[in-house]
Amino acid sequence: MALTSIKNLKEFSTANERFEGAHLLCPGCAHSMIVRELMNATDDNLVIASATGCLEVCTAVYPYTSWDTSWIHIGFENAATAAAGAEAMYKARKRKGTLKDPDAPVKFVAFGGDGATYDIGFQWLSGMIERGHDVTYICLDNENYANTGGQRSSATPVGAHTSTAQAGRVSYGKKQKKKDIVAIMAAHGAPYVAQLAPNKWKIMAKGFQKALETEGPCFINTVSACTTEWKFNPKDTINITDLATDSLMFPIYEIIDGRQLNILYRPKNVIPVEEYLAAQGRYKHLFKPENRHVIDMIQKEVNERWEYLQRREEAGV
Amino acid sequence: MKGVLATDRRGIRELGAEELVGWDEVTQGVILESFEVPMEENVAHIRPEERPYSDFSSYTATVASWRVIKPVYNRDICIDCQNCWVWCPDTSIISRDKQMLGIDYDHCKGCGVCVEVCPTNPKSLLMFSEAEEPEAALAKWPEKKKKEKK
Amino acid sequence: MAEKMELNEVEVWDGNYAAAQALRQAQVDVVAAYPITPSTPIVENYGAFVANGYIDGEFVMVESEHAAMSGCVGAAAAGGRVATATSSQGFMLMIEVLYQASGMRLPIILNVVNRAIASPLNVRGDHGDMYAGRDSGWIQLDAFNAQEAYDLNLCAFKIGEDINVRLPVMVHQDGFLTSHTAQNVYPLSDDEAYAFIGDYKPVDEMLDFTRAVTYGAQTEEDWHYEHKAKQHRALMDSYTVIDRVFAEFKEKTGREYKRLESYLMEDAEVAIVALGSTVETALLAAKQLRESEGLKAGVVAPRVFRPFPFNEIRDALANVKAVAVLDRSCPMGAMGALFNEVSAAMYASPHRPLITNFIYGLGGRDFSLEDAKAIFREQKGHADVGYITTPLQQFSGLRGPKLGFYEMKRSK
Repeated sequence: MALTSIKNLKEFSTANERFEGAHLLCPGCAHSMIVRELMNATDDNLVIASATGCLEVCTAVYPYTSWDTSWIHIGFENAATAAAGAEAMYKARKRKGTLKDPDAPVKFVAFGGDGATYDIGFQWLSGMIERGHDVTYICLDNENYANTGGQRSSATPVGAHTSTAQAGRVSYGKKQKKKDIVAIMAAHGAPYVAQLAPNKWKIMAKGFQKALETEGPCFINTVSACTTEWKFNPKDTINITDLATDSLMFPIYEIIDGRQLNILYRPKNVIPVEEYLAAQGRYKHLFKPENRHVIDMIQKEVNERWEYLQRREEAGV
Repeated sequence: MKGVLATDRRGIRELGAEELVGWDEVTQGVILESFEVPMEENVAHIRPEERPYSDFSSYTATVASWRVIKPVYNRDICIDCQNCWVWCPDTSIISRDKQMLGIDYDHCKGCGVCVEVCPTNPKSLLMFSEAEEPEAALAKWPEKKKKEKK
Repeated sequence: MAEKMELNEVEVWDGNYAAAQALRQAQVDVVAAYPITPSTPIVENYGAFVANGYIDGEFVMVESEHAAMSGCVGAAAAGGRVATATSSQGFMLMIEVLYQASGMRLPIILNVVNRAIASPLNVRGDHGDMYAGRDSGWIQLDAFNAQEAYDLNLCAFKIGEDINVRLPVMVHQDGFLTSHTAQNVYPLSDDEAYAFIGDYKPVDEMLDFTRAVTYGAQTEEDWHYEHKAKQHRALMDSYTVIDRVFAEFKEKTGREYKRLESYLMEDAEVAIVALGSTVETALLAAKQLRESEGLKAGVVAPRVFRPFPFNEIRDALANVKAVAVLDRSCPMGAMGALFNEVSAAMYASPHRPLITNFIYGLGGRDFSLEDAKAIFREQKGHADVGYITTPLQQFSGLRGPKLGFYEMKRSK
C-alpha cells in the first residue's frame, strides 16, 4: 500500500509518524503540520530535500535530526536540485541494478519556504520542473523570510508589514503584489500544481497523494500561517488559516497539466478579507483611516481573482 | 518497555545537554542516523514505540521546558475525532488504533492548537498552568456549555 | 548494459576528450552539468556517449553551474558515482556548493578546465579558478597535458572514493593549452580502466531505506569547529591513499605520478616552481639552458595542489640556491598563493633558498620559452650574489613600466 487511507481522520491517524518532536519550530508553527501530513499521506520510503529556512534549521541541528527518512539540506536555493540529483541517481542505479532493495517504493520530495521558492531558488525550481524529474516540490508559504526575522519576499502580500517593507508614517507596508507562483509553475506544464491549506486537511492530504502518485514534477503551494511574523497567538494557527481560506485570500485549487483548473474548496460563507487582516499584527496599520483604501484594494483583488479562477474552471481549458 | 505513553528512549535529554565530543568522535560528513540499527522493514510500518531510535533522533530529546502552559486531556469527553492529532505541530498527540491515548509531554510545546481544534462540548483538551497536577485539572473541568447562537 | 568502446593503443585526444573518455570508462552514474568554455566539450562528449549507448548513467543538463554541483551533491548522497566539469565563472557560481560537497564527504569528481575570472571577461586559461577552490576542502590534482588529464581522472575516482578518504576531487587542466590541444594519449581498455577504479562503494546512502540518514545538518559554535577539523584531517591524511593509488597506476601503466613532481632537480642550483602546462615550458627551458649555458636549472611542480605537498617541497628544494615561484593568478594585494606556500615550507627548513615570485600568463597571455629562460637566468644572478636583486614580486610578460613589489631585507 503506497497511500495511507484518508477516508476519515480516524483512519488517517493510524499512520506511523516519521517526523519527530523536539524539533525547534515555534509553538503553533504550521510548517510541521504540513510536513507531518505529507509524510503521513504515504507509507512509501521518502527522500526529502529541504531548503535552508525555518524547517531546515529547526529539524536538523547537530546532533539531532527529526527525520525518520532520508533527508538532505544543501543550501537556500537548491532543494529542488538536491531532490532532482537524488532522483537521477535512483534512476541510474535502478537501471544498473546497484540498489540495495530495487523494489522498495520511493518518493522524492523537496520542501522550501517562500523565500527559497519564489525568490532565491526560483531558477533551480524552474529547472527541476522543466527537466521533468519525478519530484514533488512543496512550498511552505509563510509570506516572508521568517528564519531571518521577517523580511519581505516576493510572496509577501500587499499591505503587510515586514522588517524590509515597513509600515510607517508614510508607508502602508509592502507595495508590490504577491507573485503568482501557482500560475508560473502551471505554465511550465507540470502535470500537477495546487495551492492547499492545512486547515482543509483532507483536501491537502488528497492533493499530496495526487502529487506523490503523479509521475513527473509536481508543485504545491501550501499556506503556512506564521505565528511569529504574522503576529497572532500560537493557538490560533488553524483559526487564522480558516480565515485565510474562507476570505479567499488563499483560494484552494489545482491545475492539471498546466490547463484544467479545479477549485477544491468553496467557502459556504465567504468572509470579508478585513476579518482575516484584523486577526494579524502584520496588518494592524491598515486599520488606520489613511490606510483603509489598502483594505479595499485587497478586497477588490481577492474578488477579481476568485472570479478569474471560477471562470477558468468553467472554461475547462 | 514502559508502554506507548512513556517509552524508554523518548525525551531522555534536554536539548543542549548532550555530551560534547572531540573532533575525532563527531560523525563523518556531519551525518546523523535516526536509528541505532538497520531497520528490517519500512519505518512507516513500525510504531514509534517499537523503533530503535538513536541518540541522534530528536525523539530522544525533550522540549518540555519550553512550556509554561500545558494541555490536559479528558478521556471521558473525547470522541477520538483526531483533530488534535492531525494539527499538532509537535507530533505530540499519541493516537493508536484510531484512539487518542494522551499527550506526549516530552515534545509538546504548549501551543494550544489542540485545544482550539477540539470540537467537543466541553472540550476534551484544555490548557492549564504547567504546574497544575492532572487530577486537579480534571477536577476543575467545566460543564457542557449551551450553544451560542451565531 | 553499456556498449564498450574499442580504443587504439595510441589515440589523438585533446585534454577535454581525454577527460570525457575517462568519465565514460568510470561508468559514472550521474553527470549533472552546465556548459562553459573551455570545459564544454567534456560534457558534450559525455552527452554523445550517453546518446550512443556507451553509458548507462543519467546525464542531467541543468540550468546553471550552481545547480550542476547541487545536483551532483544530491546524486552523490544517493550513493553512486558522480562527476561533472566546469571553468571560470561557472566554477565561481559553484563555489558555495563545493564546500557543501566536501563537508558532506561526497567523492564527486570535478574537471576544472582552468580559465581566468572576470572582470574583465576572458575565456583563456589562467589559474584564478583553481586558486579560488583551494580552501574548499577538495583534493586538487593538476594535469599538465592531455595524457595526464586522462590518467588523473582515473586516479581521482579511486582516490576520492577510497573509504579512508571520501572527499571530492578536482582534476585541473589548463584551458585551451591542454583542453584544446590534441596530443598522443595512451588509454587503457574499458575493462582495464574500470577494473582499476573498481565499483562504487556507497557510504551513508540515502537510497538505503534500512537506514534513515540526515545530510546537511546545522552545526553552531558547539560543533562546527570539530567537524571542520575532522574534515581538514581527512584531507591532510589523504596523501597516503594518493600515493598508493599513484603506485598502483604505475604498476598498471608504467606511468609514474608523484604528489610533487621534480624534474632535473638532482643537481639543480636554481629552480622554477609552477603549475599546469607551464611546467612543460619551464622544463624545456631548463633542458636548453643546461645545454647552452651550463645553467643547472630544474623544475618543481605540485601534481597535487591540495593536500599541499609541504614536506615534499622542502625536500625538493633542499639544495637549490634560488627559486622562482610562478603564480598564474593575480593575488590582488598580496604575494602569490603558491609563493606563500612554498616560502612557508622552506621557512621551516634548515635550508632557506632565495625565493621570488612571478605573476604571469593572466588571461591566457603566452608564457614563452624565453620568458622561462629569463626567469632562470635571473635566479642564477641571485644565487651568485647571495641575495635577491629584484623586487620580490615581479610580472612576467606584462606590457608597460616594470611592475614589482617588496624587496629583500638584508642584515647589514
